[in-house]
Amino acid sequence: MRGGFRNTVERLDRPSAYYLNRTILTNSGLQNNKKGRRNDRNNRDEKDGDTEMANNQQPEEPPEDPLRNATTLYVGNLSFYTTEEQVYDLFSKCGEIKRLIMGLDRFNKTPCGFCFVEYYTHQDALDCLKYLGGTKLDERIIRTDLDPGFEEGRQYGRGKSGGQVRDEYRDDFDEGRGGLGRAIQQTERLRESEKNRDSEHEMREDYGRLR
Amino acid sequence: MADYDRRQGGRGGGGYNRKRRYRDDDESDHRPQRRRYNEPPLHVRIRKQLLTLAESPLRRWHEEIQTTAHMVVDNYDKEEVRTNFLELVPQIVVEQPLKTPFVAAVVLVANSLKPEVATDVLARIAPLTEEKIKLGEWRDVKLYLKLLACLQSCLEGDGLFPALEELFNRAVELQTSNSDDTIGTELVKIILLTIPYAMAAGSSQAQQKAADLMDKTDVIASEPHALQALIDPHHAEKGEDSPTANSSLIGMLQKQLQNEALNGWELKCLPRPWQMPLEEIELQEKMENAQKHPLPAIAIPETVITGPRPLFPEIYMSVYANQEVESVPPVSNVAASLIRDGLLDTINIMDFNRNVTARYLIDVDCYFADGTFVKRATPFDRLRDIDGGRSTWKPEDVAVDAVFSQLFQLPSPEHKLVYYHSVLTEACKLAPAAIAPSLGRAIRYAYHNIHQLDLELGYRFLDWFTHHLSNFGFMWKWTEWADDVDLPDIHPCKAFIIGALDKEIRLSFAQPPDEEIQPVIARIHAAALEQSIDPLVSSTDVFMTAICWVGSKSLSHVLACIERTKDRLLDVGAASEAARLQIITSVISYWSAQPGVAIVIIEKLLNYSIITPGAVIDWALVSGKAGPGGEALSKSWVFELVLNTVVKVTGRVRQVLTSGVADGAADTEVTAMRDLFKSMDDALVSWAEGTKDQMMDPAEPMDGLGGKRVELVQRWGERWLRVFRRRSAIEEAHMLATKQ
Repeated sequence: MRGGFRNTVERLDRPSAYYLNRTILTNSGLQNNKKGRRNDRNNRDEKDGDTEMANNQQPEEPPEDPLRNATTLYVGNLSFYTTEEQVYDLFSKCGEIKRLIMGLDRFNKTPCGFCFVEYYTHQDALDCLKYLGGTKLDERIIRTDLDPGFEEGRQYGRGKSGGQVRDEYRDDFDEGRGGLGRAIQQTERLRESEKNRDSEHEMREDYGRLR
Repeated sequence: MADYDRRQGGRGGGGYNRKRRYRDDDESDHRPQRRRYNEPPLHVRIRKQLLTLAESPLRRWHEEIQTTAHMVVDNYDKEEVRTNFLELVPQIVVEQPLKTPFVAAVVLVANSLKPEVATDVLARIAPLTEEKIKLGEWRDVKLYLKLLACLQSCLEGDGLFPALEELFNRAVELQTSNSDDTIGTELVKIILLTIPYAMAAGSSQAQQKAADLMDKTDVIASEPHALQALIDPHHAEKGEDSPTANSSLIGMLQKQLQNEALNGWELKCLPRPWQMPLEEIELQEKMENAQKHPLPAIAIPETVITGPRPLFPEIYMSVYANQEVESVPPVSNVAASLIRDGLLDTINIMDFNRNVTARYLIDVDCYFADGTFVKRATPFDRLRDIDGGRSTWKPEDVAVDAVFSQLFQLPSPEHKLVYYHSVLTEACKLAPAAIAPSLGRAIRYAYHNIHQLDLELGYRFLDWFTHHLSNFGFMWKWTEWADDVDLPDIHPCKAFIIGALDKEIRLSFAQPPDEEIQPVIARIHAAALEQSIDPLVSSTDVFMTAICWVGSKSLSHVLACIERTKDRLLDVGAASEAARLQIITSVISYWSAQPGVAIVIIEKLLNYSIITPGAVIDWALVSGKAGPGGEALSKSWVFELVLNTVVKVTGRVRQVLTSGVADGAADTEVTAMRDLFKSMDDALVSWAEGTKDQMMDPAEPMDGLGGKRVELVQRWGERWLRVFRRRSAIEEAHMLATKQ
């Protein structure tokens, strides 16, 4: 856990429970194995496009916090129609943006509702968590989380239909994100022939490719 | 993660994150069953009680304070209770300072039961104060002194006053040796803000001490500081006075305290939670006769330092000044300073949780004496029905006013401006019916005074206004400005409306311009040669426009395109000033419908050194390409472009200076910065004085201004000039401070 000092109220510039859980799982050799909470030795050396940190570390070394100097933020719950220009305009309020990577649908190459914003400094990224996370962009409440940053090989990781996994089985109608979940839409279309669908529980929303 | 009250505490605050909350819930479900039914340990319960003191609108101050004090005293022999209490007390007063009087009351009640508690607290606070003085962390110094002042009644002799006197002596030394000194001013401010708490907490014997001290502070407090004119939020037109010309914070405080002294230190707004209700007369007597303690020595080092934040004199500003009914304390009343001070500390300390800050703004009435404010959400129109003598101060107005004072703070507030935006957004979400009308009146104030607001602040207001509206569905009574649409574009109000619409569009939707070009570089070259125009310049236009066109699909396309062609662009830019200007012209005219995109592209071109800061300034202020006859100066995006460029240059200089790179490199950067400011000054002076050729150009249309065009342009020139002269002066001061 980070630092011994504790403020009298919660801080908003900490990584989310989502990230911390992931880190704990990864560090204890349980990454990507949420169903069975057992220490499966075979899993430890399996390379997976979606595991990007600490999986080769010796257990006795104290794991170095990969977010200590993080300058990148994951930004989620964007509308599919929100443009780079809008993201730029809002996020520049916390500092100059070094790079912006829009998450794209694997097949259509259109925005699929998330992006990564990279700043020049760690402080700008923290300020962004504190001041912009949970506010609105394009009429939607956006979610921000610190991220260890872009590395080659951390691409893909989408749902079956090419978008984010959360948009597969969503049963509310979200106009900004293509209506109902895609899997549900498909189910409705192919109700007759539809059979056992592999349910995919991997929730990670991951990097998009640049173009 | 076994952080008990973080999850359960009244001030959770982080609850916007749906995913996070669910996960936390999941996690608690996995906890072992027995823990759920166990009461948390004592020190955790005491922590929670201390942290929630006075939060409840039920105002059961005395019950809360007595329960907490008893819990502490009864368990003071437990190591864990004692350690946690003695660590938490100093932390609360520097993190949640509106609660200081209540924490002090707990200590005072505890002192009547077990004097050891107060001894330990004093022994803890005094060295912390000393340490903060050494570090120049003046806000923390002020906040510890505030706690000590609230404990005045349990201090021996003159209590805190000798320490304040010593602090004053240091201020005098500083001011005598240097009249520009700002630390001395800060020390006097701290002293003046501490005295009221000592007076509210102590006995009437202290009155003479206070009078003596204020006799001394008068000299420093009443003298306007040399830097004051530079940081006045208003920039009055010629022949007029700034509404805040006489609003030096310490000058005001001095007068307010003198008024209080005349009225026997009534200090009506301050809470006195150490005064028990009649039925508790026994406890009250016990407290009065409780043991008194000597204040441990607080040493002040030979040299005091500015500390991590640059110090400037402060000006008191209110966006609710001059209303028909007072909705905030008048500047003559000490409540104006004391409530503002408590709120500003809270706002600036709590930047790590804007939800908690917003909660404090909404609950401000909880932390001051009964009757200080009208009931929450009382409509402004009802204030005039309030009977004589009773307060008409709206808690929402007081809270919103405090945030605006930061948005309008020169040279800059403590945090990024967007933090203050987010605080107002959260406050508006928590209590829309109460806050929104107050914001509306603040907006009207700024809009109607936009002509005499400092230009940088006018831009900040625009940036906040548009960001705020984007969080609330762009709802604003635009119709109330409908008449102003007919004003000429260079009228300050019309310029604001144009700027606001541009920014709203940037945040709401954006479409790349639908334009087709067929760059035929050779043909242009030939044509240019025929007309003896610089062929490089005209082909640059085609080239740059082509880059924009290829990249028009999105920003990352255009940025990738620039990256690919950067060598060629570097050659072009290096060729001549005319070529650099042409690059800028091409980008901006291609994106003329969306200047925001153009500004980002220019920023990246600057990063690659394809264009120079000087070229941007030249383009915006001299070339006439940003708008004819000085119109450029009225466009908010031109100001944004220039401000961003200047901030980039000054930021670079600061970075080089602090990183301690070899002197040569720093000198080059510093010289470049000074040259930039110099050329801006030259350009702006000629606009401000009306000596610019273009201004007199008879070809320029008078566009219905009845000959006032020249005056309007001159005024824009003056406003620009003030902003960048201030920035230049502040950088010079910064360099001086870094060298020392």
